[in-house]
Amino acid sequence: MNPSLFSPEGLAEVIFLILIGTTILGASIATLSKRLIRSVIGLAICFLGVGGLYYFLNSPFVAMMQLLIYVGAVCITMTFAIMLAEPDDEKASRKYKSVSTWAAAPLGGLIAYGLSRLAIQGQWLAPAEKINSGSVKDLGMSLLNEYSMVFELISIVLLVSIIGSLALARVGRRKQ
Amino acid sequence: MKLMLFAPELFMLLGSLLIFFFSLANDDGKKSRSVAIATSIGAIILCFICLNKSGLLFFKAYQIDLFSQLFKLTIAIGTAAVILFSRDLKGIQEKIRPEYYLFLILSSLGLMMLVSSVELISLFIALELSSFCLYLLVPMRDDQQGLRTQMESAIKYIFYGVIATGIMLFGMSYLFGLTGTTYLNELIPKLHTLGSEPAAIAGIAMVLCGFFFKLAVFPFHFWVPDVYQGASNETTAFIASVPKLGAVAMLIRITTLAAPQSEALVTMFVVLAVCSMFYGNLSALVQKDIKRMLGFSGIAHAGFILLGLLTMKDTGYATSIYYIFGYLVMNLACFLVICSVSSKGENVTINDLSGLHKRAPLLALTMAIGMFALAGIPPFVGFMGKFMLLTGALQDGQLTLVILAALNTAIAIYYYLSVVKVTYCNSPDGHEDITVPLMTKTVSIGLILAIILMGVMPSKILAIATTAVQGIL
Repeated sequence: MNPSLFSPEGLAEVIFLILIGTTILGASIATLSKRLIRSVIGLAICFLGVGGLYYFLNSPFVAMMQLLIYVGAVCITMTFAIMLAEPDDEKASRKYKSVSTWAAAPLGGLIAYGLSRLAIQGQWLAPAEKINSGSVKDLGMSLLNEYSMVFELISIVLLVSIIGSLALARVGRRKQ
Repeated sequence: MKLMLFAPELFMLLGSLLIFFFSLANDDGKKSRSVAIATSIGAIILCFICLNKSGLLFFKAYQIDLFSQLFKLTIAIGTAAVILFSRDLKGIQEKIRPEYYLFLILSSLGLMMLVSSVELISLFIALELSSFCLYLLVPMRDDQQGLRTQMESAIKYIFYGVIATGIMLFGMSYLFGLTGTTYLNELIPKLHTLGSEPAAIAGIAMVLCGFFFKLAVFPFHFWVPDVYQGASNETTAFIASVPKLGAVAMLIRITTLAAPQSEALVTMFVVLAVCSMFYGNLSALVQKDIKRMLGFSGIAHAGFILLGLLTMKDTGYATSIYYIFGYLVMNLACFLVICSVSSKGENVTINDLSGLHKRAPLLALTMAIGMFALAGIPPFVGFMGKFMLLTGALQDGQLTLVILAALNTAIAIYYYLSVVKVTYCNSPDGHEDITVPLMTKTVSIGLILAIILMGVMPSKILAIATTAVQGIL
């Protein structure tokens, strides 16, 4: 049942666990840290783990994009924003004292327990051995065939967010 | 011809492209407004022409049937009404008015595409298109008091929206993991054979959460009062009415995924319906700002709509559709008055309406009929809708729920009618007369007629809605 640690399957499992651990560790740092800049670093670590998971799921291209866009661009932009805004660390420190925090912890735990029980007991489909090679070509083919409408719609969504942020930024600047 | 299947959406896209060009030039909003009006009215006509079309587009991800076309027609009507009565966009800064119209049109385009999407990923992206535009409409309000309340409400709206979306995506991953497909027509038989498998029920429930947020059902309602208060009157009129159409359409589509008479889902609907009704109605009792009051009343109405869904039968779904169409016209009638009464785009309190019957008789009549309809007083559409929802739930054996819902109707009458009392019985003392432009008059007469006609002759709409629902089961 349990493959030996040094067989290919065993090693794959170890790598998988490391990736999951990285993701969870990064997410915990991002949420628990009291300084904003540390949260961003935590987020970067989390994205790193997620990128590894994509690679594990046989999509090297998406994994690479995850690293390039999220770790490389998004987190760096956030760091710049934080450095420019100089948030007051004293104010940013959170207080864990309100009643709702105490109520949220057991509730969150209960939901996590329920979902993990579902995940263990569910009648999931056997994972497909390999759908395609996960190459850029396959990705392009499915983006322009099955997901052509989604592909076009995403471009409109991106356009909306760019125009929206520009319009809002312009209004904000005019006021001051 | 295949082009006609996609004609309304294409026309909306074309209109938004034109507005985009105007937003690049220095337009103060007049030209964009004309284009937006032309686009939305053209979309109504095209939707009407394409009402009976059916077919599949984009590799079977996009289904055109009576169900989707019916919702597209009402979405177009709602959008046109909002654009027509929000005459000068008093609450929005001049410089970004073209962008405002652009987002308004694109948001309804997103909703139109949402009701036709029969594949989970397309559905998600269409929903996001409509939500992104709405998130942006809220902070575009002109900051008159300098308090930046619109920013606060926008942030709240985005955060709650993102959380609801996250839950929905997680649920979708469950559905995909159980069945290996994202197409609804393949999901339905597979999920029905799974029966009461807990993971399937949890997945469906989590996907439903995304749309509960749009409809403002109880645990996902926190954004409602603040966003209604912080957004400009025109934006609130849109957010309060049109996206809810899309939400109901998708709630029906997702509920059909579950095996019929799934106990767990019915219980969930019952609990949410009761909580929404009580929370909405009891909070609405103490509100002074009329937009906040309508926000809480919207939560209560969302609870009523769940009464139709929880029967999980075609007649129940059809009544829900009838009710949300009725809610659209009643709500728009009230917001038309709010937008007209507010002289500079500021918020309106209930006291600002005093003596409205002397200052603007037509507006007072519109408000009164809207409030009577929302309260569920015959012969208006709200009464017929509530009556049919309650009898439907009663036939389904939900006696306790029906009693609680009837109790809520009684609570609601108090705060709706006190608004009518202020408009008709108080003296104008100091409030100025309001001149109502011809366009607004036409829209308000149209809305009054719709409220009365839908209430007097519900059978025709119900018959169409039933045929539409049977088409997707």
